[in-house]
Amino acid sequence: MRVELIEKIEGEAKLEYKFKENKIDFVKIVFPHYRGIEEILRNRPVWDALAINPRVCGICGHAHLFATVRAIENLYQNAGIDVNITEKAKLIREITLFCEHIQNHLKWIYLVIVPIMKSIAKINIDQNSFLEIQKAIVNINRVLAIFSGQWPHSSYMVPGGVVCDPTNLDIMQARNFLKNALYIVEKRVFENMAFEEITVSELEKSRTDSGKIFRFLKENSLLSIGKANDRYLIFGEHSFTKRVKIIKTVSYPVKIKYVKEKSQKSGFAKNVTYKNNYYETGPLARMMLLKPNLIKQLHRVYKDGISTRIFARVLEILFLLKKVEAHLNSIELSQKSYNHIKTEIKEGFGESAVEAARGSLIHKIWIEKNRIKKYEIITPTQWNLSNGTLQNPATAQKAMIGLKNSKLAELVFRTFDVCSVCTTH
Amino acid sequence: MKSKIVWIQGVTCNGNSHSFLNYQNLDIFLKKVEFLYHPLLPSKYSLKELYEKRFDFDVLIVEGAIKKRYERGIVSLYTLIEKLSLKAKKIIAVGTCATFGGVFKSYDEKNIKGLIFDGEEKKGFFKELEEKVINIPGCPAHPEWLIYVLNMIEAKKKILLDDFLRPKEIYAYTVHSGCIRNEYFEWKVDAKSFGTKEGCLFYEQGCQAPYTHGSCNKILWNEVNSKTRVGMPCLGCTEPTFMKEEPFKTKTYMSIPANMPLGVPKRAYLTLTGVAKSFKIERLTKRLIDES
Ligand code: SF4
Ligand code: SF4
Repeated sequence: MRVELIEKIEGEAKLEYKFKENKIDFVKIVFPHYRGIEEILRNRPVWDALAINPRVCGICGHAHLFATVRAIENLYQNAGIDVNITEKAKLIREITLFCEHIQNHLKWIYLVIVPIMKSIAKINIDQNSFLEIQKAIVNINRVLAIFSGQWPHSSYMVPGGVVCDPTNLDIMQARNFLKNALYIVEKRVFENMAFEEITVSELEKSRTDSGKIFRFLKENSLLSIGKANDRYLIFGEHSFTKRVKIIKTVSYPVKIKYVKEKSQKSGFAKNVTYKNNYYETGPLARMMLLKPNLIKQLHRVYKDGISTRIFARVLEILFLLKKVEAHLNSIELSQKSYNHIKTEIKEGFGESAVEAARGSLIHKIWIEKNRIKKYEIITPTQWNLSNGTLQNPATAQKAMIGLKNSKLAELVFRTFDVCSVCTTH
Repeated sequence: MKSKIVWIQGVTCNGNSHSFLNYQNLDIFLKKVEFLYHPLLPSKYSLKELYEKRFDFDVLIVEGAIKKRYERGIVSLYTLIEKLSLKAKKIIAVGTCATFGGVFKSYDEKNIKGLIFDGEEKKGFFKELEEKVINIPGCPAHPEWLIYVLNMIEAKKKILLDDFLRPKEIYAYTVHSGCIRNEYFEWKVDAKSFGTKEGCLFYEQGCQAPYTHGSCNKILWNEVNSKTRVGMPCLGCTEPTFMKEEPFKTKTYMSIPANMPLGVPKRAYLTLTGVAKSFKIERLTKRLIDES
């Protein structure tokens, strides 16, 4: 067995490889840390979760906040209390969530994917490109902060809406910051921002970093490595997603009650399955639902190999930038930001799902005597990086099995945008 | 020569690392320093090399709380800090976890602490390093706070510290100063609910800014905003008491806030409140921007 420590994936993970006839026969994924968020929440007043949960993760705190708010709102609904969220509050919640995705994906390309590609073969993207992209990240996070007060770690969503009350001036500033980000992304990542129209041949010719990444994969015969089970899941319901599983290209409805979490002997991450099967969640799943040109074309040839997975994430950046722009244009400022909810509820249960950058995030809350009795969090990385068996490998394992060396396996592993911090909340 | 920095993580959510990447002049800053290790940015060494290699460097940055048996690379976090702290000329605890234990402390009160402090007490795992340490609490710390400290160290300038080893230039203020709701605070006009521009969040929504040390309303977050400006109560994240129970409610005794603004005696506060409330300032009871 060979053990490799994988760093800079929002913490660390260990990959334990078994080789057979010079090929990876099996990989075990081990996450060594644990911080005890679910325990910290126990016995606390319900709303405390709004302040604690963004601290599950430094990079997707808004997704955790959103999931928390929805879980508490669902708790109220289950107790027969009306929850009315205005269209305005819904749009604002989505804007900040989508901004968080965008900045995450940009960091992923330049800090997670390009460096590992560099260690495999020559790629023509220089060290300083991140510093240019970082300006786009700064601007996107400004858009976020206009509504949420700060990023990271804000608790600005509360059951019933959002705490902010933006003005036209705020919207104008947000639009300007967004434009700055769009400009940089267009120049650096993709010159054609029309996400629906981009084709493989256009990608291949592109002078931007996306084109360079594509050509790198092609020249090194890596376009189709990293195939997993071709099964996808989406639980978060937003303006462009719905609750579905997609098998190959066909979607079916799903229910949270069939999701199972199970502890593992080694490491602190828990396995997650849907009706006992492993699924992939994240940008690839979401793009399989939206079916833009590029993803259809890539999937037809390379299935759920790394090229489809990588460009699903890249494409989602373009899609979300447009989405944020459209949301900013459609906010009706005269609507209320917040509707007070009568909160007298002593016992009950609530659950929620939200799409985080890396995929579906599920929160469940049980309360008793007005306090949290139990809180359960299932993170996207748990879906993608569960451990199955030799006979039934989980998503990322399946994608790594059969590869010739651990460097390639690490590239495949990183295409899932691993978050060790979330996984081991 | 560029100053050399090693940034390592303890028990953390990575929030301070990501906050750092929000620094608007990162490109300029990175011309002056070199990260021998950083949890996100490309850097010279791996975690393994960090422990095995001999090298000189200037500043050790620790993000996250300290737990003795917590794996970091090939050794425990404790062993790694022990080794690196010998070489470091200065050590910066960035974030409330590294400073006081933070949110994760409540998972394992006894075994999770800050570098020098364990909550309010000087009983951290590395209290013998006190001379070298500067604390920058905050959940997370603002990138500008950290860059200020690094610049001061580089320029060999003296940084004045308070009793919690926090730079006074950042933490001598309260978060309350600079909040755009200050007028409402002065005249004791409460925010009626969340989601409005009007009213102060101190009386009803749990704002801890009047007794929290920090400059969130002076050095704005992401250069554009702050929690309280947007309508969210300050959670008091720069203090050893973070995270308090019920952060969205103001704790009161006989309808008087349990915690007074910093340095204000209760009686004086009550007198002042009485006087302030006897004024009825029309302007402050209306919506800021209305149609008329
Ligand atoms: S909301 Fe908080 S920071 Fe703002 S004036 Fe009131 S007490 Fe001060
Ligand atoms: S406003 Fe309060 S809670 Fe927010 S970052 Fe500043 S000190 Fe921390």
